[in-house]
Amino acid sequence: MASTTINPVKRAAQRYFIEFAISMTAYVATIWVSRSLLYGPMRTASPGWQYVVALLPLVPILVVFGAVVRYMLGVDELIRRIQVDSLALAGGATALMAAAYGLIEGDYAPKLSAWWTFVTFMMAWLIASFFVRRRYQ
Amino acid sequence: MKNRLKVLRAENDWTQAELADRIGVARQTIVALEKGKYSPSLELAFRLSKLFGKPVEQIFDPENVDGKPE
Repeated sequence: MASTTINPVKRAAQRYFIEFAISMTAYVATIWVSRSLLYGPMRTASPGWQYVVALLPLVPILVVFGAVVRYMLGVDELIRRIQVDSLALAGGATALMAAAYGLIEGDYAPKLSAWWTFVTFMMAWLIASFFVRRRYQ
Repeated sequence: MKNRLKVLRAENDWTQAELADRIGVARQTIVALEKGKYSPSLELAFRLSKLFGKPVEQIFDPENVDGKPE
């Protein structure tokens, strides 16, 4: 491969950051639009339509999911291994924390929104990435 | 797994980033390979072999494989 060829790993990272930035902007916009509609003109709409509008922000989240998948397919074997190991650790840690919280929720701890599982998983992924990456430095 | 990547890279006067670009991996991967913290796949080992024009066993030390997983 010639040195002038664009490194596919760099290209994958650049594409991911662009797609992530656009998706997050779209996410904020759809949150604003859906909340404005639900608390405004759609306050009296049928529940079916309210569900559809409430779930609108899911569209950019799906785009982010696609961006993550494309990124994982575009990076080299070590970066992919780091991310897959991190995802596995994050999934395990989140499951453990969800199970532990489920045992005390309601009786000894306040009920939490399912949204916290997502937030916990993303935080766990970030932390796991940091430690898994250190193994190879 | 020990290897001669750092020496071969120096002989060609390439930086880690240049080597990474030549074989299409991240610089982080070159760092891990040179430090022996990561053993490459067969495909990556053969790409390095082709780039340096040397057999795989002249780049990676087969005597150093202890059979333990990474």
